[in-house]
Amino acid sequence: MRPPSPSIPEKEFLFASLKASLRLDGRQPLQLRTPELTFGPELGWVECALGKTRVLAQVDAKMVKPPPERPFEGMVSIHSEISPIASPEYEFGRASEEEVTMTRMLDKVLRRSDTIDKESLCVIAGQRVWHVRLAIHCLSDEGNMLDCACLAGIVALRHFRRPEIEVVGDEVTIHDPTERAPIPLAIHHSPFCFTFAFFADTSIPPILDPSHLEQRLSAGLVSIALNAQREICVLQKLGGVPLAPDSILNLVEIAVSRAKELDRLVDDKLKVDWSGRRVEFR
Amino acid sequence: MITFTSFPSSPGGEYDAVRRHRETDNDMDVDFDDDDDFSSNRLRLTLPGDYLTSSQAFMRGHGTYVHEDQVVASVAGTVERVNKLITVRAIRTRYNPEVGDLVVGRITEVQPRRWKVDANSRQDAVLMLSSVNLPGGVQRRKLESDELQMRNFFEEGDLLVAEVQAFFSDGAMSLHTRSLKYGKLRNGQLVIIPPILVRRLKSHFITLPCGVDLILGLNGYIWVSRHIKASDQAGEEGFDAEAVYSNQNDDIDEPTRGAIARVTNIIHVLAAHFVPLTDTILLEAYEWSVEQEEANKGLFQEDVAEALVASLHSRS
Amino acid sequence: MGSRVEILNEGGFRSDGRRQYELREVTIDLSQQGQADGAAVITHGLTRVMVSVFGPREAKSRSQTIHDRANINVEVAISPFSAGERRKRSRGDKRILEMAATIKSTFEPVVQTTLYPRSQIDVFVQVLQQDGGLLQGCINATTLALVNAGIPLLDFVCAVSGGVYSTSPMLDLTLLEENDLPNLTVAVMPKTGKSTLVTMETRLHVDRFEEIFKLVCSASHALHQEMKDAVRVRTTSLVTAMGTTQSNVGGDTMMDES
Repeated sequence: MRPPSPSIPEKEFLFASLKASLRLDGRQPLQLRTPELTFGPELGWVECALGKTRVLAQVDAKMVKPPPERPFEGMVSIHSEISPIASPEYEFGRASEEEVTMTRMLDKVLRRSDTIDKESLCVIAGQRVWHVRLAIHCLSDEGNMLDCACLAGIVALRHFRRPEIEVVGDEVTIHDPTERAPIPLAIHHSPFCFTFAFFADTSIPPILDPSHLEQRLSAGLVSIALNAQREICVLQKLGGVPLAPDSILNLVEIAVSRAKELDRLVDDKLKVDWSGRRVEFR
Repeated sequence: MITFTSFPSSPGGEYDAVRRHRETDNDMDVDFDDDDDFSSNRLRLTLPGDYLTSSQAFMRGHGTYVHEDQVVASVAGTVERVNKLITVRAIRTRYNPEVGDLVVGRITEVQPRRWKVDANSRQDAVLMLSSVNLPGGVQRRKLESDELQMRNFFEEGDLLVAEVQAFFSDGAMSLHTRSLKYGKLRNGQLVIIPPILVRRLKSHFITLPCGVDLILGLNGYIWVSRHIKASDQAGEEGFDAEAVYSNQNDDIDEPTRGAIARVTNIIHVLAAHFVPLTDTILLEAYEWSVEQEEANKGLFQEDVAEALVASLHSRS
Repeated sequence: MGSRVEILNEGGFRSDGRRQYELREVTIDLSQQGQADGAAVITHGLTRVMVSVFGPREAKSRSQTIHDRANINVEVAISPFSAGERRKRSRGDKRILEMAATIKSTFEPVVQTTLYPRSQIDVFVQVLQQDGGLLQGCINATTLALVNAGIPLLDFVCAVSGGVYSTSPMLDLTLLEENDLPNLTVAVMPKTGKSTLVTMETRLHVDRFEEIFKLVCSASHALHQEMKDAVRVRTTSLVTAMGTTQSNVGGDTMMDES
């Protein structure tokens, strides 16, 4: 069931404060909520929180036989689901429009932009490849779940390490993580997704990382996924308020700088976590 | 080399295909630099997004909107001006009801104390139980038992002729059949044409000399039926419920059936060539088709149809 | 795996003989199709899309009525025979659902839906042949069908696709080019030059993006002219057809009062 739309005073207050470049949670219009990354006991288990939006990502890998048309490539699959745990407005079972958008976007950002080197996942051509599975669970929706899910997904992939293997002839030995240190996935680049919200009233400036209320009242979203190397992976403005070309290019510039900041932050967090773990696997 | 031919494009009207390479820019955008430009007696065509005139000097009407102090067209069609009011009438569109219009419709739903009627408009029309004549006299009070047997009067799928009585606040129209002329339709067949082809006439009940009655609904629904003599129709004061709400067709003899079919086909042909319908045109077309002694289905051959339309052009 | 076909040869020609900035041939057919209120078939080279518009009409179900505006319902079907490889897509296919949602949200701010409260506008998109530029074809055909149905729009919506081959931008990609190149589709409202839709799904450097984005925006004006011409010819032919049979036809349509 859809919750009732926000009340008129709520709406007017939000619009009036946005016009004055104020946001209800005290952020600047183009400020991101600082992501909080919590790593679990296992490798490839990450919980990412943007304010009260929380997404859990978990990666595992197993050996499979590759499909005959791509014998030299490993497989990557992404499972994502928005269940009623995130917010009562999502129904169980039926794919909502948000879910379709999110699934497709995750697929484009994390899989089709060649984030993972699939050929490095090949063990024996045509016989054995790694199948990397990324599961995304949305735990709580306080706006901008897409960015949160993308961030959780990419961090989980970078955090994950697969067991070391040894190939002798046709024999494959998988070493237990306690015997040999597991090795990280070969990752080409780390795309980050940024969502901007627009409002029907054009005097309101665009805002980055909309909260739930802002998202509900917005009249158009632009999602840009890019990496720190200034490469856009996905740019998606599916309808909504028409925008001038210049303002879209502006957003791209903003996203570029945010991507660099976020990349640094993720690098640091991963380094800290890894240095804390190293002891276990000596 | 790759050539860009897929399916051969059908040789239809000259508007079928547009070449991409154009040397001349025959942009005939309507240009209203000076406001007096409206006074010329030329038909103006506009397209969505075309600037029409300043919104300071003129008022915007249907089919337009105001953008940056300019009146801009939002549909493709002809510009009309009444004093300071600028409207654009779309060529092909759904029926826009006005109070007093005669429409032909089909019942889609029976609801408490009302019927929903499809009348080719943007929403289904409403026919209230209180706006129909019930058996037993015009002045009769509606009873609870009438509510329970609404399907005895009109059922889903029934066709009826009615008049637009009023509008609801959301723009849906309310119909009434409180006249002996209106009510359930039988003994004929329905033809659907674009509503713009039905002009407002003195009477929308037309009787052709070939024994065919026509009801030209302004919504583009046309009822072609067997002629009913005026004396039969009028009836007495307390009119016959059986006849008005009957679902039974009368016996129709062979020549009348032929005539109904011929008129129906003529309407189809005229609509395909976008010819507005009037009683005179229909009559001329009917005579022409009888003169030609074409079999009824011959009308659908492209050359015969074009000859018919051409002969109408020459006569007018 | 590099493709065997040269995308852009030394002479500056593409695999189908076009230059970099050349669009494919566009044909537009606006003739009546069945009982639809408006219909359009557009071809961009070998891509062919048919759109039928029904409405505004009574909404099918209570849940689909919106009390203050019309609901736009878009359904996309891709014919199994439309591509080289015969393949039936189910209606629940994520890609098709996404495309339908994209078309719907592209047109929601353009169609004046507030004029038709509680109604529904049905847009049925049928892809007959695909050779790249599927989304652009769908959007352009939908615009034309809506105009043809007399539904008020703020402006045309013209979509063009583009891609970049190493450093050279190209317009209106075929399927072959689309598979090999980073590509984007932009839908522009020509009057204001603003875009309602921008999608890009492949990696591309920001500077390259800027170049192709601007190019695509300007190319949409050429397409706008084509679409306007087609609608104008169609409207003119209908108006003349109505006018010739009756000398006084449209006495009310002509400005004869002054």
